[in-house]
Amino acid sequence: MTRTWLRWMPAAVVPAVIAAGVLSGSLPASAGDPLPEKTPRQVLLMVAQHGEKSLSGTLEQTSQMGLPELPKAGAGSPETAWLELLTGPHTARVYLDGPEKARVQIMDRMAERNAVRNGDELWFYNSKDNTAAHAQLPADADGRHEARPGTATTPEELADKLLAKLDASTEVTVGTDVQVAGRSAYNLLLTPTSDATLVDSVAIAVDGETGLPLGVEVKARGQAEPAFSVAYTSLTLEAPDAAIFNFTPPPGATVEEIPVPDHKAAAALPPSDAAAAKAGKRPTVTGTGWASVLEFPAGAVALPGKAQGGAPDPATANPLRPGTSDPEGTRTVAAALLEQAAVAVPGGRLVSTSLVNVLILNDGRVLAGSVPLERLQAAATPR
Amino acid sequence: MLCALAAIPILIAVAVRLSSSVPPGRGPAFLDRITQNGLFVGVTAMLVSVPLFLPLTVGVVAGDTVAGEAGLGTLRYLLVAPAGRVRLLLVKYAGAVAFAVAAPLVVALVGAGIGAALFPVGPVTLLSGDSIGAAEALQRLLLIAAYLAVSLMGLSAIGLFMSTLTDVPVGAMASTVVLSVVSQVLDALPQLEWLHPWLFSHYWLDFADLLRQPIAWESFLTNALLQGGYVAVFGALAYGRFVTKDVLS
Repeated sequence: MTRTWLRWMPAAVVPAVIAAGVLSGSLPASAGDPLPEKTPRQVLLMVAQHGEKSLSGTLEQTSQMGLPELPKAGAGSPETAWLELLTGPHTARVYLDGPEKARVQIMDRMAERNAVRNGDELWFYNSKDNTAAHAQLPADADGRHEARPGTATTPEELADKLLAKLDASTEVTVGTDVQVAGRSAYNLLLTPTSDATLVDSVAIAVDGETGLPLGVEVKARGQAEPAFSVAYTSLTLEAPDAAIFNFTPPPGATVEEIPVPDHKAAAALPPSDAAAAKAGKRPTVTGTGWASVLEFPAGAVALPGKAQGGAPDPATANPLRPGTSDPEGTRTVAAALLEQAAVAVPGGRLVSTSLVNVLILNDGRVLAGSVPLERLQAAATPR
Repeated sequence: MLCALAAIPILIAVAVRLSSSVPPGRGPAFLDRITQNGLFVGVTAMLVSVPLFLPLTVGVVAGDTVAGEAGLGTLRYLLVAPAGRVRLLLVKYAGAVAFAVAAPLVVALVGAGIGAALFPVGPVTLLSGDSIGAAEALQRLLLIAAYLAVSLMGLSAIGLFMSTLTDVPVGAMASTVVLSVVSQVLDALPQLEWLHPWLFSHYWLDFADLLRQPIAWESFLTNALLQGGYVAVFGALAYGRFVTKDVLS
């Protein structure tokens, strides 16, 4: 009998060994030397002064916003591609070499979306429908990398954006060190002082050595998992192979030439909002800091589905490609999404996510803010 | 069975050849690329055969290993020879693995061959939009075949274990194939997201990572590690079952 048991031993031991291996692997690696203590100001300075311009790494982005998940690498329309980034997990590879060369690859299943910048040349490529888009940046381009919808934001861009918004409305602290992509990092915590916002906290992981932002995590009130997070899972601070930045559209691909917009005037705004701005229909802001509410007048937002993104400020939204190829299809997809996500509330419909609420009033006005519904409704009533 | 697998790329190539052009973005990925480059027949054929045909044939072969001998009554004669049960098990598993290696290779090579015969062959466009020459593309094709071979190791081990459980080969084959289907169904349920990285079929379709520029090796390594785990667990189970099994009565 003992012989029988002995022979079943491997079958019991092997899973135990694997389980032990997995458990020990998932434990946080024992922190070597704790990072020297720094004040939030010093950490902010590190971020502002970091000089790492060459890197290659892999980004993981997850969203738990409570939006229905859209099919990945869906139809090529920019609006849905942009929404799609907010609704599901994504992996992207990022290559940077100086301010002039960058490549972002969003890795979808059986497909990939690419954005390549090499000097003045800007290329977008979507393998799903084998289309490429090309833009020639003006020579005086100020090194600003224009992300097209369909490109995930690097932690660097996101952190810079958030730090710019810091004011008295936010409590900034440095939490316990975290490990991101195998590197020790300061954990910069931004906690809104106001109770009126849905945002619970924003955590920025700042590399302890270089000051490079390694990850951003946005938590919503009453939700354990981060509502939005993007962080490096692997990172090499070396210049990537120069061949990576050479892009020529593949034979057979549909190439579209993007006219470079007059970027001083309208580049920062999506086309519909640019048109709205021309017509004098700018959104009005009520409230301050985290609890601000944006009000779009009737007709200003052609596609209500677009306004429900994680960014409360339309200026921070990615500029959309001018000359949308398929407005009809876009509208139906956005409308279908709206239909699915919106619930009827007194006076209109509400698209609710864990970070942002968007109230679409029956009279066509759209209110958006990172605040509960009651505040949106209060802002909607005429003063 | 290898002939049946070889029929898949031929079928695809002939169908695409005879039909009008496929609009991009419709049907299985890469299907629209075939008319421009014959090498994509191999990729498309592998993509199509991953969910069912490859697991089916591997399940049949692996399920037949021990149960087939037992069902024919030849197992006891094999064990009369002083070869040892462990050795027999290893040889049987090696046979199943050899098939798991050969199956995707046949699909890839027949696909490339028929594609080259019916369509022009030229530089291959990768998912990243970069183009590589035909020779390098063939290397990638072989890499994908290797990836799929590794992917099928776990299923082969499961089939071997199933095969030691019964004397009816059909039962072992069917349960192995059913398990592969169940695994893929579970993989499709978003509610079971925590389970997904542990399913042996989870990384099967990630061979597309080998079509990126530069190659994303992470999925290859994770997949190999996962399959190794499955081979260890079910190999140990098969060992426990087979060496304690009463085959002589």
